[in-house]
Parts: sequence; C-alpha cells; structure tokens
Amino acid sequence: MPVVQVPRDDQYVLNHTTRFLARDVGEVAEPFHLPVVDTHWDGASAEVSYRFNDVTFVHRDDQAREVGVVGTFGELHTPVPLRQVRFLGEPTGLWAVTVRVGKGQVHRYRFAVDGRSVLDPVNPQRQRCDNGREWSRFFTHGCAVPISFDRWELRLLDRLVTQVLPFQLAENRRFLDDFYHRLSRSERDRQFPLAFLMDESVGVVNFIDKLLAREERHNLDDYKTCLRLIDGVLRARFPGREPAELGRQAFMDLYDELAANAVPGWDTGQYGEPRYFLVLLRRHAMTGAFAHPKHGGNNGAAAWAYLAERFEFDWRSALEAPLGRNTDYRG
Amino acid sequence: MADETFDAVIIGSGAGGAPIAHALVRAGKRVLVLEKGPLFHAQHTSPDGLSDFKRDEEFATGAEKVLRVPGVANTGVSFYSSHVEPDLNDEPHVYREKDGRDLATIEGYTAQVVGGGTQLYGGVSLRFAPDDFRLCTVNQGRADLRDDPNGDVAREARDWPFGYDELEPWYCVAEDLVGINGTRDGQLKPASADHYQKPLEPNSISSHVAVGMDALGLRRYRTPLAVITEDHLPSGRTVPLDRESIKTAFVNRYGDPLGLKSNTWVSLLHPISTEPGFELRANCAVTHLSATDSRVTAVHYRDPLGRSRTVSGTVVVVACSAIESVRLLHLSAELDPAFGQRINGNDLLGRYFLTHCFGGASARVPGRHDKSRTLDSDWATDACAAPEFVRANNLWAGGAIYNNTSDSALPISMARTWAANDMDTMWKGYLYDLDMRGDGFDGYLNENFGRQLSVAFMANQVPLPTNRITLHPSVRDKWNRPVAHIDKGWHSHDVAVMTVLAEQCRRILAAGGDGVQVIGHGHVGNDVRRIANHVLGGARFGSDPRDSVLDPDCRAWRFDNLYVTDGSFMPTSGGANPTLTIQANAFRVGDLLTTRV
Repeated sequence: MPVVQVPRDDQYVLNHTTRFLARDVGEVAEPFHLPVVDTHWDGASAEVSYRFNDVTFVHRDDQAREVGVVGTFGELHTPVPLRQVRFLGEPTGLWAVTVRVGKGQVHRYRFAVDGRSVLDPVNPQRQRCDNGREWSRFFTHGCAVPISFDRWELRLLDRLVTQVLPFQLAENRRFLDDFYHRLSRSERDRQFPLAFLMDESVGVVNFIDKLLAREERHNLDDYKTCLRLIDGVLRARFPGREPAELGRQAFMDLYDELAANAVPGWDTGQYGEPRYFLVLLRRHAMTGAFAHPKHGGNNGAAAWAYLAERFEFDWRSALEAPLGRNTDYRG
Repeated sequence: MADETFDAVIIGSGAGGAPIAHALVRAGKRVLVLEKGPLFHAQHTSPDGLSDFKRDEEFATGAEKVLRVPGVANTGVSFYSSHVEPDLNDEPHVYREKDGRDLATIEGYTAQVVGGGTQLYGGVSLRFAPDDFRLCTVNQGRADLRDDPNGDVAREARDWPFGYDELEPWYCVAEDLVGINGTRDGQLKPASADHYQKPLEPNSISSHVAVGMDALGLRRYRTPLAVITEDHLPSGRTVPLDRESIKTAFVNRYGDPLGLKSNTWVSLLHPISTEPGFELRANCAVTHLSATDSRVTAVHYRDPLGRSRTVSGTVVVVACSAIESVRLLHLSAELDPAFGQRINGNDLLGRYFLTHCFGGASARVPGRHDKSRTLDSDWATDACAAPEFVRANNLWAGGAIYNNTSDSALPISMARTWAANDMDTMWKGYLYDLDMRGDGFDGYLNENFGRQLSVAFMANQVPLPTNRITLHPSVRDKWNRPVAHIDKGWHSHDVAVMTVLAEQCRRILAAGGDGVQVIGHGHVGNDVRRIANHVLGGARFGSDPRDSVLDPDCRAWRFDNLYVTDGSFMPTSGGANPTLTIQANAFRVGDLLTTRV
C-alpha cells in the first residue's frame, strides 16, 4: 500500500521534539516520545479519521544531504523522504516526515541517511528480526499485539491484575459479560483481538505490555523478575498445575503475601521487596483500566461504561466521536 | 550587537507577558515573544485542525519518571508530571527541607508552553480585595494579631504602590479581553464595568456549598472562571452549539483542545498573530540578559535546537513565572557584576518569595452527582476577606473561599490524589492502601465516586526576607546553568490564618445539608514543600528603591528598559488566585510601554 503523507508543519515538529533533544549536557529526555504518534484528522470524517494515527519520524543530522525512512508501514525498499525542518528560515539539522498509519499496529523502521541504513538513535524501542537484523520499532494507538511479554506472562499477569480491580465481584462480572455480549461479533473481533485477556482485566494487561515497551521501560525488569518468581512460587505450591489456571483463592492469598512483603518461597536475593511490585502493579492496573482506550487498556471503554452504569459518569459527552459522542473535539 | 532588534522583547507568554504583547502590537509596535515551551495549539488555531492538548488523564499526570538529579536527597524517587511540565532531570527546582536537606520537587512550575500557567490552571479569575493592596496601612498599630509575638507582620507588611482603584480599570480590561464567566453581585470587589459572560448551570453537587454558605450568612457569587460560555468577540472565539458540552472534568491541569478555556494564547496572542508587528518564537529558552550601564542591550537565548542567538529590544520584559524570572536575573548578575549591582544592589532580588496560605475542607455528600460535567468551581464568597471578619479573627488579612468541582471528578485523578498532599505525593495514598482491592476497591468507588466535594481558601502569606529564591550552588540544568534554589517556610501567623480559614471551609460543608459528612479539613502550614503553582514575589515593586526591586511601573529601579511583570512583582500575595491580577497589572504596564517604545 502506498504511504500516505500528512502535512504537519515545522512548528509541529519543533514543538514535539526539541525540548527533549536540545541540550548542552545530559542525555535526551523522555526519548520514548519518538517517533511522535498522534491523532489523525482528515478534515472531514471523525469515523474515518479514527482508524488512523499520524506518525512523525524525526532524525537529527547536521551533515546529511538526504534522509529517508523505510519500514513495514510502507514499502520496505522505497524510503519515504524526510524534509529539512527550518527555524527562522535556516536548516535546524532536524529532518522529519509525517505519515498516516492504521491504529493497532506495530511496525519496524530504519532511517536511510545519504544511502546508509541507520537505527533511530533516539527511540529506545528496538526489535531484532529472525535474520538477526536490528530495527527500530513503534506501535500506534490501541495496539493489542503483545510486545513486552510472552503468552504465559500475559496470562499470569491477567490473574494478578484481577485481584486489584473490582471486576471479579459477581455483579460486576455480570456487567462485563453483558457488556461484551451486547457487542456484535465483528465489533468484538475489532476491539478485542486478544479476547482471552479481556475478561476481568478489561485490557489492563495489554496496557501494561505497552507501557513497559515505551514510557516505563525502566520497570520492565521488575515485571520479568517478579513474574518468574511468582510462577516458581505457585508451581512449588501446586505441583503439576498451570499457575494461570489456579483458582481465585490462590491469587487472593498471593496478593495478601505480597502486601505483607512476605511471600513463602520468594527468593529475595532476586527481588528484595515483593510489596514494591504489588504497588507498581496497583498503579498500572488502576491506570490501565480507566485511561483512554488508545493506551491499550480500558478496552472498548468498558471501565468507563461500568462507571456510567453503576454510578453517574457521562464520559461520552466529552470524548471524541466515534468513541464518545462529542463532535467538536477531534481527539 | 544583537542579531535583531524589536521595540519590545518579552520573555514568557503567560499571564505576565501576553497582555503586554497584546497592548503593544495593537498600538502598532514590533514585539518578539520568546517562550521556552512549545506552541501547543487549540483546534481552531491549529493548521491541521487538531489540538496538541487531549482529554486524556495521562496528559495531566502521566507515566512514572524517575528523578536522577545528582546531589539532592531524593534522587531515585518517582515523579509524575504533566506533558507541559519539564522533565525534572533537565530543570529541577530544588527546595530546602526543614531538616536542611535539599530535595528536587515538581511543585512550583506553572507550565512550559505558550500560554504558560494559563494553559493548565483551573481558570479561577478573582480580583484581589481592596485591603489586599494596603496591608501595611490596615495593620499599623495592631497588637491583636494571633501568633505574631515579635510584630513581624506590621514590620514586613507592605502596601502596593497604588490602590485597588488604580488597578480597577485594568481588571475590567483583563476581564473583557481574556474572556471570563461569572457573576458580580455579592463580590466585595467593586467593578466599574461588568464584562462577565453568563455562567453555565452549576454542577448539582455544588448545591451543598450554596446551602452551607447561605446557612452561615456568607454572600456568595458564581466563581469567575476564565472559560468562555458565549461567543467572545475580542478573541474571535465561538462556543459549541451545545453550551452544556463546555463542561467537562478536563479543566484543572488540562490544556483545552477547544480553546474555550481563556489561556493567553487563544485569548490574547492568537488574535494578534496575523499582525505584522507580532512575532512568537516558541521552544526558545532565554539563558541570560546583558547590559551596558542602565540599558539591557541583549537577550541571549537558545533556539529550538540549542543554537545561541541574541535579540535586543527598546524594552525587555521578563515574565517567565516568579521562580524562573528571579533565576534569570540572578544568572545574568552572575555573569556580569555590574548587572548584579544594578539588579540586586540592595540584596532584595529573590527575597520575599511568596505563595498562598492555602487549605480547605472536604466532604462526602449523601447523593451521587456526575462530576464529569463541570468547570473548576461554582460558588465563591468574599465574606472572609471582609475587614470586619479579618479584625474579628485577629488576622492581618483574609482570603477568598470557593468550592472545587473538577477535583476527583475522573477515576484516575481520584485515585492518584487519594490522600496525597501535593504533586510530589501523587499516587502515594492509593497505592499503599493495599486493602483497596476487589470489593474493597468497589467500596471505595461506591463511597467516593461522584460524592466528593471540597471547599478551598486562598489567602495572603506574610512576606518574609528569609523566603527566597537563589541559585543552587551545585545542581545545574540541561544548559549547564545553576537551577533555582528555594527557601520557604511559614510564619506562625500564616498558620493562624490557615487554621481560621480552614475552619470556615469546614463550617460551610458541615452546614451543607443533611447527610453531608465532613471527612477532613486542614492546610499546608506544616509542609514547606507545598509551593504550589502560585509563585509570587521575589522581585517586589514599591515606591522606595531601598525596599524594592522594581519601581511602581514594574521597571527595575536602576535600569532604563528592564521590566518584570509576572507574579514576582507582588509585595504581598493577595487573598485570591493571582492570575487575573497579574494580567490586569500587565495590561497596565503594557499601556505605559506604548508611550515608551
């Protein structure tokens, strides 16, 4: 498919990148902001626009004569050229291009600088292909493709998250069941491609998977270590059983032990403060359940719909159509 | 020689800078505004029809970041900042804790973006009361003040160099040009013109506050808010067909994608942006000023990619929020002792730094209300700013009281502010309340969601020379410049003021009707960290060059062309949120400058 370029001006590029990049000392701040993934607006239709993001690639090179980007969002052998970004009519050394990419996607890319292929030196997200070649990576809003975790980790995490959220309660589970059943098959497939994760955790696990791939990479090791330790603890306690298949009580007990900072069988040499992991999980669960669905959780706005049904919470009137029903605000 | 020259170079695009730019450009002058932060658009000002602000809780207080600043005691802590606050590791504010340790804090930033703090504020646009301008005069000879054994208040209180009446016409100008909704009747602040737009229906939860204020005989009025509710001719902004849709809980700490919140970009700068005399350079951080004798001859800044550039102006206006303005002047002084002698010959630069005496009460109401349809506040009262109240309670000054409606309106914000005191303790209460799980979590939602109501006060802080902004001896920003170092404490009389006003807030809620359950009341008096976003003082103006940094026109005493117009000019912090007063004063100075350039 040909790449659709979007006209975003130089001011936009400077606004969203230079405060992180420009400096005399220290490293680039908040490098996860690159490439910039933002709302798409086609100037006419909220429904059509909602299916896409604008992705702005930015590369800094004072010496380059031409810079392009190739990636799986377009044709792998045809670089999309970046333009020189100017300030006061002078080249800044920044190069940029904005392209339209569908939501819910993961892509890899490399820059082509005067014919040389280079990784994005700022974006910390990387991906190694089967042939060993390393690529830079980005994902768009509402992405449900696992990035940070393996399947067993996702399933275990799902069970842990449900301990924190209110959806394990009988009446709330009924709500969720009803909520999902009201959706048409195609709607369910579109919104919940990982349906096995979408029951009581309303997509929180997917939110965490994305957060740890980007903004909170610094917390990924905590998850990897603790999930491995929890898996070991539960396997030792329930020999021959798959931890993610254990009953609710096993996870309620585990929660209490984490809260007490004393988990029998936990190797504190590998991770000293199990309670710290629980606190981390609590923040991520709360945020993932109730944040805007573009961050990967709160699937189909299920958690907001739950608040609206149980309490009073007219979230739809403020939010962009077609997710909400506000037609002035475009997201 | 500077690279370019303008009639005026204005550093900062918020409440202190934008009104001056507006006045000068309308008078046909050539103005350059330099802004450290980005130009984040509202939809209607954006070339692509999209705003850079979103209705998204992750924008107000996003993912965890980790403090890595060396040399402070809290290196390694988590912090959560807005998308228009700086990365703390690039530009920390460091304050001294009571125990003498230095700590970096996310408190005390307004916002680094075109529009400054007016992008994120709740929009509360109260005038100061007439007595706020003459606190020295009204406190002379008083021996009845609570907890002021050494007579500090009478010694340190200062009158402004002019009274309420002189600023009054500029309040009117600001209320007209900025775009504010509210009601006038019931205010203690006389107005010669009423430019308020009609307020929207209050959120139903606020009826408890109306009932409580009425029961106590406190005259109330609709809180003036810088959000347009009708088409606004001066800025050309229009409102949605469904005016009720203006109410969303994405108010305080959120930039407004529709530009209905009257930040200085949409209200004052965008309307002049097509004038030939106006130029705005966003993403440009000013590093220092240089002068020849009494004239500032160059403004040195880094362009968006960090290249050093200079400009000069017939006048130079510093308005980048009190802490950063004082720091910029200190940095300029550090590079040039002659500059230092002129700006700080009396050792007052940075002293008398002020915030507000702040606190309130919170309650749980019996019914449930949809707080997602709200602006920041519905009802206000000036009853506790009245001279009779102030005298009767043995206080030096009073303050405004108003209710908050947007707090805890959204689910994540309710959790992250649960039992948190300020920006630095965000999330701490909820996360460590480990029993809040499953049905415990459900109970927490059931008990609190749509049922929390708070009332806050905003009052004068006693000015003290020991509350001051200096340059930190070792911590540096990303441009390798010393960062701001903040010393701040409360006077014992401040604590008395806060105790009295917090009790008034409690009484309002307690009288708010059957079933209203007060769950807490208090203030920030035991916490030096709480700097808040009301950063004021540090370069106070006055009539006596020995006692002030700026003259009554906000011009630095020993400079011909250097002005400071953000909140740092204030000699006392006023009994209300400061933004409207900063704007009114900046319109006043802007008018003066039209004859000086």
